[in-house]
Amino acid sequence: MQFPLSISDITLWIAVTAMILLITSELLTSYSEQFGDFPIDKTRLRLVALILGASFMATVLLRAITPSII
Amino acid sequence: MTTLSDQKLWRLGTAKAIRILQLLFLSIALWFIYWSHIYELTYWNKTLLESFQSNFPNVLVYSILIIAVIYLESQSKRHRRISMVPSSVKTREISMSTSSVKSLEMLQKENEQLKHELMKSKKIPSNKIGIALVIVGALLLFASVRTSSTILAFIGLGLTFWGALFLFARSTKFVRIPILDATAISSYITLDRIIDDLNYKGKPIYIPPYPKETYLPEYLEGLKEMVVFISAKDSTTMPNIEEMAKKRFLVKNPKGICISPPGSGLASLFEKELRADFTKIDQESFYDGLPRVIVNNLELASDFTIEAGKELIHVKITNSFYSNLYSKNQNLKSVHSIGCPLTSAVTCALAKTTGKRVTISKTKLSPDLKTVEIWYQLLEG
Repeated sequence: MQFPLSISDITLWIAVTAMILLITSELLTSYSEQFGDFPIDKTRLRLVALILGASFMATVLLRAITPSII
Repeated sequence: MTTLSDQKLWRLGTAKAIRILQLLFLSIALWFIYWSHIYELTYWNKTLLESFQSNFPNVLVYSILIIAVIYLESQSKRHRRISMVPSSVKTREISMSTSSVKSLEMLQKENEQLKHELMKSKKIPSNKIGIALVIVGALLLFASVRTSSTILAFIGLGLTFWGALFLFARSTKFVRIPILDATAISSYITLDRIIDDLNYKGKPIYIPPYPKETYLPEYLEGLKEMVVFISAKDSTTMPNIEEMAKKRFLVKNPKGICISPPGSGLASLFEKELRADFTKIDQESFYDGLPRVIVNNLELASDFTIEAGKELIHVKITNSFYSNLYSKNQNLKSVHSIGCPLTSAVTCALAKTTGKRVTISKTKLSPDLKTVEIWYQLLEG
């Protein structure tokens, strides 16, 4: 039994998810009045989006520095 | 009477367009970087320099895109600054008859009630959704390992992540607006009773406190607290320092009462969010930071503009949480003179920043109570 996804696949997934979350959090912060009744902590959502974005950038850097690792 | 601002609508549209453009450019630039460098570095074993040399047009494209994103960011910041400290915007006013205003208010109330009923019937707690997603995601991940299926792994990973996100990002302190109103009303009713009973005519004056770090003798420590003085007569004479320092409610010279402002707690929260002491902050940072804290951080209103004049400071609040307190049905007198918790907090902040006594000179409400305009007066001496 082996996990079917490689690191490259996960990197790609992180990139896509980070983009979706960053876009969502950006739109939520700019137009708070449109989401007035939406019970979600925008600060936390933005934090998760930034963490995912940073982790994607970290994997990209890792690839640039040592391509053989990943 | 109601006021509409065309300029605001235009500004919202431009800001939205700038944001979408920024995100679009950034996404394209990221994909350019990914496919032109990372792909080649990984699969073609090229060095970073070789990749740069062979992809010069791509480098040019994404550099331009990133420069465009930075430029747009500076533009959007400019827009935000303009919206925070606006120039006098010409507004057109629509006159409405009193009967139509009443019917509008009734309709809005009915609308609110229906909304609440709908919410109650449709309410599914977000934590249940989160837990369900996590469980399904975990099961799919397990199945993907058993069957070595990439598709199942992607779905499982996605569901687990979104479930965890729902649990993490759900609002833990969600309070409905009517609850806020209900908790605030009683203190205003009490204040109305006191003022009516004592037959005091003076305007409430917010007296700035001494900075917390300032050394004061023990018997004057009370001067470090923000107070509102309501005089018996319509005068702006300051109460005796010793009486204020003793934290007395009834003041004899001049005759009046000293109370704690309804927004003092909220003003402290503003300081915490801004990470600044209002007694030390410079006025530019204050006028720039306060709207951000009220609209973005604490989300107490959907829009907040502040315009400083020499003596009068004009504040416009849209969709305030406390706007229902101004409703005629509540029949609260003191809320107009001393301000709702939000306007009172702004008054406290102004008094602390300027170091001057502040009064609420005039309050103007739109018929639907969505917009509250306040003119604050700074008193010298």
